[in-house]
Amino acid sequence: MFKTDVLVIGGGPAGISAALSVAKFGLKVTILEEREFLGGQLIKQTHRFFGSREEHAGVRGISIVKELKENLSANDNIDVLLGATAMGIYEDGTVTMLYKGEVRKIIPKKTIIATGAFEKYLPFENNDIPGIFGAGAVQTLMNIYGVIPAEKVLMIGSGNIGLIVSYQLVQSGVNVQAVVEAAPNIGGYLVHASKLRRQGIPIKTSYTIKRAIGKEHVEGAEIVRLDENWNEIPGTEEIIECDSICLAVGLSPLYDLLSHSGCEMKYIPELGGNVPLRNENLETSVNGLYVAGDVAGIEEATAAMLEGELAGLDVVSKLIGNEEIQNEIITVKKALNSLRAGPTGIKIRNGISKLMNMETEKESIKNNMTDLSHLKKNGTPDTVNIESKLPDDSVLLKGGKAIIECYQGIPCDPCMHSCPFGAIIKFEDINDIPKIDFNKCTGCGICINNCPGLAIFVINKDHTDATSTVKMPYEFLPKPEKGSEVDVLNREGIKICDGKVIQILDGPKQDKTSVVTVEVPKAYYGEARNIRVVACDE
Amino acid sequence: MRIGNHPILTFVRAEKVNFLYDGKEVFGYKGDTIAAALHALGIYTYSHSPVNQNPRGIFCAIGHCSSCLMTVNNVPNVRICITEIEEGMTVESQDKRGVLHVQD
Amino acid sequence: MNDDKIIICRCEDVTLKEIRDIIAEGYTTIEEVKRIARTGMGPCQGKTCSQIIAREICRATGKKMEDLKYPEYRPPFGGVLFDEIIKGDPDEE
Repeated sequence: MFKTDVLVIGGGPAGISAALSVAKFGLKVTILEEREFLGGQLIKQTHRFFGSREEHAGVRGISIVKELKENLSANDNIDVLLGATAMGIYEDGTVTMLYKGEVRKIIPKKTIIATGAFEKYLPFENNDIPGIFGAGAVQTLMNIYGVIPAEKVLMIGSGNIGLIVSYQLVQSGVNVQAVVEAAPNIGGYLVHASKLRRQGIPIKTSYTIKRAIGKEHVEGAEIVRLDENWNEIPGTEEIIECDSICLAVGLSPLYDLLSHSGCEMKYIPELGGNVPLRNENLETSVNGLYVAGDVAGIEEATAAMLEGELAGLDVVSKLIGNEEIQNEIITVKKALNSLRAGPTGIKIRNGISKLMNMETEKESIKNNMTDLSHLKKNGTPDTVNIESKLPDDSVLLKGGKAIIECYQGIPCDPCMHSCPFGAIIKFEDINDIPKIDFNKCTGCGICINNCPGLAIFVINKDHTDATSTVKMPYEFLPKPEKGSEVDVLNREGIKICDGKVIQILDGPKQDKTSVVTVEVPKAYYGEARNIRVVACDE
Repeated sequence: MRIGNHPILTFVRAEKVNFLYDGKEVFGYKGDTIAAALHALGIYTYSHSPVNQNPRGIFCAIGHCSSCLMTVNNVPNVRICITEIEEGMTVESQDKRGVLHVQD
Repeated sequence: MNDDKIIICRCEDVTLKEIRDIIAEGYTTIEEVKRIARTGMGPCQGKTCSQIIAREICRATGKKMEDLKYPEYRPPFGGVLFDEIIKGDPDEE
């Protein structure tokens, strides 16, 4: 057996952050990671992150992992064991692990469990045939192994995972036939939904899957509409042609090791299922045993990294406590609270309140001043939403102006930081909805590829007498050629006119979000929000 | 099928690894899990379920759901979604719980 | 709903109909359903089935999800070969 100061079980974003935060103070840390690579689910996240600049907002998940791994290798106090499965935790704190074909014992002073989560399952007819995947599985195949998961996917679930994975499927050349959501409203961030709608992908709310069609493999699916009481409405069945059904119906904490330890657990639906009772600094009811990341409650990677840091800091304060550490703990907790403070954070806040036996909040019907009901049902803004972002004509005739089609208060502010002219009005709170000072906006478009939601467009209404231009983000292949004709699509992915690509920016500053300037007939500047590259006939 | 060009990612497929699937010579690339290699070859059914003999494939692909169990190098019930391919490895479909090879 | 065509426990091939029948017989804890149907005893250790079974119990009995007790887990987590255990810890005598 061997000894270590702090044992971290799980080498994902929470585990790595915990290890870094402990090792900073000179303590010895060992990370056990079951797989042959570090990064957990973060290595599959090709999209740009939300949150604040300090928490890597605007940076792609895959780049964040790179940075975390570099920091790990730079630190001699951290020992990483890959292919090491933590097998058990015992009453005296001993941990057993299976490593290189041998069962070994570890005696840590403190242990941080960051084992993440597993995919929930859904009961529907014929639900176990090949071709039915968890959304994470499809992401694993595409983004880690470069394997095409299917040709035509039906996505079940419109939370952030369902929406993001659908977008990533399109990037891999897969057709997403529809996103189906049992609730009456879209669950994830509305900017993610809008990205899908611009591709022409329908989001069907109040629908569920009734059965998978196929014997040896998925050949199709039958979906059905639900009424306000979640009952199937007979006669509303539809058959969707697909060769894969992806379930993005939620995650649950992977708590096996916590069960071994005997720590107190509670079932909290807002947190994904059974979670450990823990104090404000993430220590469980078992002395010296901490949790961080999804195993503490389903959230997302930014929160996982902050929780890892918090648990690590508290561990250090118990082992070698000092004033500096207490201040750092306060700073990390402030950042976590800020991330969770906005309207979209109500679920996690209520989950944690329930866990701590505190009062929960009621969902407010009015989500700041904007009526989001059309967006929440359809993924597209209504006329009132759209008009609220467009300045008067006189402003639009003065050259390019950025229009930020972001209507929902989500914890995200990289757009504001990216503008070199201060044209995006300073946020008072990270959940503020961005507003533009059109007097300062030069239409440079730097904000376009800094927006994680890809929600910014620069309109130059007066490009010529007959045409306007729209600068937009584009993250698909094939990329359009400068000078080429393209199909111009509206917010629902429907072709509205032809356009000409007059510029395409694709350098290192764009970090794979190409900024395409399309010239369109003047009448369409308000609707043109996507392009489709026309296939060349050779 | 494998993804060729991708708008964000670059896939490096440096080293081919040959292995046997139900006696047939197949291949993948170093770093592939057995599931990824088989899926790329269009093989989606890995076993048949314990009672009803229903075809089963991947579900979660990260080792939690145990849907993808196969017999690898004579060891049954191996989760192929988290097991990397190795040169000369034998991978076999299994029915129900597979067969335990007891050494004399 | 053809609940005999809906798989709840993939590891043991247990359908929704079987679960509902067991609950209807009066077995209203996850542990009891586990002992009768073997749900949660397979390689995935209940990850696929437990919450769905819990929901069915609540639906049938009016109990709340928060009030149901889940079976405990015991080491080892993940699969381990006898060979690997027998070899012993190389760090120890």
